[in-house]
Amino acid sequence: MADQRAIGSRRGLRPALPLLLPAYLWLTVAIFLPLSAMVFFSFMTDLPLAGKEWAFTLGNYAAFFSQSLYSTLLFASLRLGLEVTLWCIVIGYPAAYVLAKVLKGRSREAIFLLVILPFWSNGLVRIFSWAMVLREGGILDTALNAVLPFKINIDLMYSYPAVIIGLVHSYVPYMVLTCYLTLQAIDDSLIEAGRSLGASRRQVLWRVIIPLSMPGLIAGAALIFVPVVGSFMEPRILGGRTGTFYGTVIEDQFVAVFNWPLGAALSFILLAVVLIILALAAPVLRRAA
Amino acid sequence: MATTRVLEWLGRFYIVLLLGFLYLPIVIMAAMSFNASPFYQLPFEWTTDWYISLWQNDQLIAATWNSIEIAIITTLISTALGSMASLALYRYEFRGKKFLQALLFPPIAIPWLITGTAMLIFFFGVGIGRGLIAILLGHVALALPYVIVVVSARLQTFAPELEEAARSLGANQWQVTMRVTLPWIMPGVIAGGLFAFAVSFDQFVVSYFLSTPGQTTLPVEIYAAIRKGFTPEINAVSTIIIVVSMALMLLTARFFKFGGEK
Amino acid sequence: MAGVQVANVSRSFGAHKALDNVSIDFADGGFYALLGPSGSGKTTLLRQIAGFDFPDAGRIAIGGESVERVPVEKRRIGMVFQNYALFPNMSVADNVAFGLSVRGEAKATIATEVQRALDLVQLGKLGGRKPHQLSGGQRQRVALARAIVTKPRVLLLDEPLGALDKALRVDMQIELKRIQREIGITTIFVTHDQEEALTMSDRIGILRDGRLVQEGPPEEIYDRPQSEFAATFLGDANIFRGNATGTGIRLPDGTTIAASTGASVPAGVKASCAVRPERIRISTSAAKPDPADANTLTGQVSKRIFAGNNSTYFVERDGQTLKVIVQNTGAERLAEGQSVVLSWSPDSTVLIA
Repeated sequence: MADQRAIGSRRGLRPALPLLLPAYLWLTVAIFLPLSAMVFFSFMTDLPLAGKEWAFTLGNYAAFFSQSLYSTLLFASLRLGLEVTLWCIVIGYPAAYVLAKVLKGRSREAIFLLVILPFWSNGLVRIFSWAMVLREGGILDTALNAVLPFKINIDLMYSYPAVIIGLVHSYVPYMVLTCYLTLQAIDDSLIEAGRSLGASRRQVLWRVIIPLSMPGLIAGAALIFVPVVGSFMEPRILGGRTGTFYGTVIEDQFVAVFNWPLGAALSFILLAVVLIILALAAPVLRRAA
Repeated sequence: MATTRVLEWLGRFYIVLLLGFLYLPIVIMAAMSFNASPFYQLPFEWTTDWYISLWQNDQLIAATWNSIEIAIITTLISTALGSMASLALYRYEFRGKKFLQALLFPPIAIPWLITGTAMLIFFFGVGIGRGLIAILLGHVALALPYVIVVVSARLQTFAPELEEAARSLGANQWQVTMRVTLPWIMPGVIAGGLFAFAVSFDQFVVSYFLSTPGQTTLPVEIYAAIRKGFTPEINAVSTIIIVVSMALMLLTARFFKFGGEK
Repeated sequence: MAGVQVANVSRSFGAHKALDNVSIDFADGGFYALLGPSGSGKTTLLRQIAGFDFPDAGRIAIGGESVERVPVEKRRIGMVFQNYALFPNMSVADNVAFGLSVRGEAKATIATEVQRALDLVQLGKLGGRKPHQLSGGQRQRVALARAIVTKPRVLLLDEPLGALDKALRVDMQIELKRIQREIGITTIFVTHDQEEALTMSDRIGILRDGRLVQEGPPEEIYDRPQSEFAATFLGDANIFRGNATGTGIRLPDGTTIAASTGASVPAGVKASCAVRPERIRISTSAAKPDPADANTLTGQVSKRIFAGNNSTYFVERDGQTLKVIVQNTGAERLAEGQSVVLSWSPDSTVLIA
């Protein structure tokens, strides 16, 4: 009878439309049409603006496949995404476990909030803060040299590790959040039951806790991997000349080289990769949500 | 049992380390905004000069006002439209509802680099071009899904019988919404609004592609400044931003539980 | 105040027929119970009368005026919901005032009407509280006050007592009945609790699978059920199945059972008889049955359940378990396994076609 209650006279799209249309029209104009337009432009020789000559072409995609630079950079970005995701798991999962299973009550709430708070603050500013720490003569350099008896030169700035550190810092709260949500849903009595059956701490971890929290791990991994593959600001600021990735090349097409059709084709290829990853993770994401 | 306690203390220690990793750079950056040396030289020497010179930087001030204005307008529009859509998704059953809900996912999940460049192309193609209007269009679209998700979560706790009871007492649709439904979902609407403000105020990527010189936002100005070279002035403005956005999120947390706990 | 006519109302949800050609006349000022198991369509019928949902076919009239396409907010009905549905953001007084206030009544009128309604449900002093500060019984009264303060034409109650514990439920039954008499409002009451339906209502309609099975005063339905379902759903009944003889039925083993009430069924047709457990006398095989009890059967006690003021015996006979309820008069108790004679009058036997 419950479902009849929900259906009632509130069936049909018509009464819902006036409420739905404004939001979805806005999303259409600002998200869905632009994404379609990007696909369209990626098959053009030039922008159809100001009377410029243009024609349909597959050249932009041919460029991606003929010039190894682009695919190399895409792989570099994918590798970056993978490394950052792994680091986030290694760092974030234990933290989520401690939050969900060791801390209790108000202190847990407060610390949980503290962990995810930076995530909602300005990403650009946080990357900039790492530039402060990592540069030569910066805080890390000065602090280590003050403590250590021998002189070392820490200059991580403008290097691959710097990019990794900045990105992990940016995204690890995501992993803590998604893992925490699945871990706290695991009934403590399951863990106790495992222990009472003679399993060691390690066995309980690998055979009960980790499998049960898999949805959170995968959700977190997808939500980190995708934006990292498309990152460009972080490599630019922390990576310097070593920070050329797929994202920075797309950025260049739009703000420096002004080859928009090529930029659109590169963006679309990235979108395709992203969509494949999300589609693979979708069943798990749906279960986690 | 002794091992358990040791492990628990190790766990707590680990959390402290993680919090250090998360907050130290921010604290250092903030500290440097109060250091007199323009080259971040130590020893530390207290000054507020950088904040004063920030106050005289007309370009940054203009960008700040743009950011605030756009964030406020984004908040108003996206909370209104998003709450309406949430209500419709809650109240009515129709074919394709699942599809409409799924459509909220791409704007959140697709990297902003892709959305931003796509918006640039499209807005240029249809004659909107770049500038504050384009930025506003983009920000509202990015904020809408967050508002709808947050308000819908609140609506899940709302008993449909309350709307029915109000109708049985003679209230029309408008009276039902304003006097019964809205008061109940208000915490969700406020949380959604704060999210929207944060999404817009902190937004860099989309603003970056849609801005033109003179019509730009604070994060875009900061990025330009960082690429020219670091100055403590950037630290000062970054400190202000991070304090504002963290305060905003703390406020949001009062209205909306992230942890999903009761 | 007004009567409600439901005529040939049908409503389907997809392939599921929630209501199938239901007609009931609810007379002005009466107290009706709609009784049925879950999924029988009783709540759907109530929602059609309220106007939350419209019928696919048929007519609904309140006070002689057709309303089947009028939305709920324009029907001038009062409704009490299963979980009371009190507005959590409003005080008790504001909850009660809601219906008057959306109608744009003057503030002073609202205040006096609200106070009168709260006094009627004996909550005159609690107007300033919030719903979460009230007990279940008090919430129930607020919901009732809110529903009647607008002087609706009909009062609809959707399992209003279902969430209360048993003792409180009995109090509220009496209270509800008192208030209903005092204002004389036509009341339609959905329940799955047969006892509640029997004690409270002037008339009962029994629904099953979207159809009206039987409708009438409680005594009539109890004494002369027209179907096996009605007989077993409202109260307890022993059912015998066989072929009609003109004066009763003949069971497969040849025993005849005489019935002097119920349907008239031509001889030879399949039919059944219903006998209430408390109408059957049980005695040891040696004792002589009452001469008025034309129907006798023998069997064996398989179980006895003692419940203080009465005992229930389960008697096995020809593969059938019969139920007999005996008042506890201090007479000798029968042991399990004992052979017994069951006897009852044809007047207590209802023939069902």
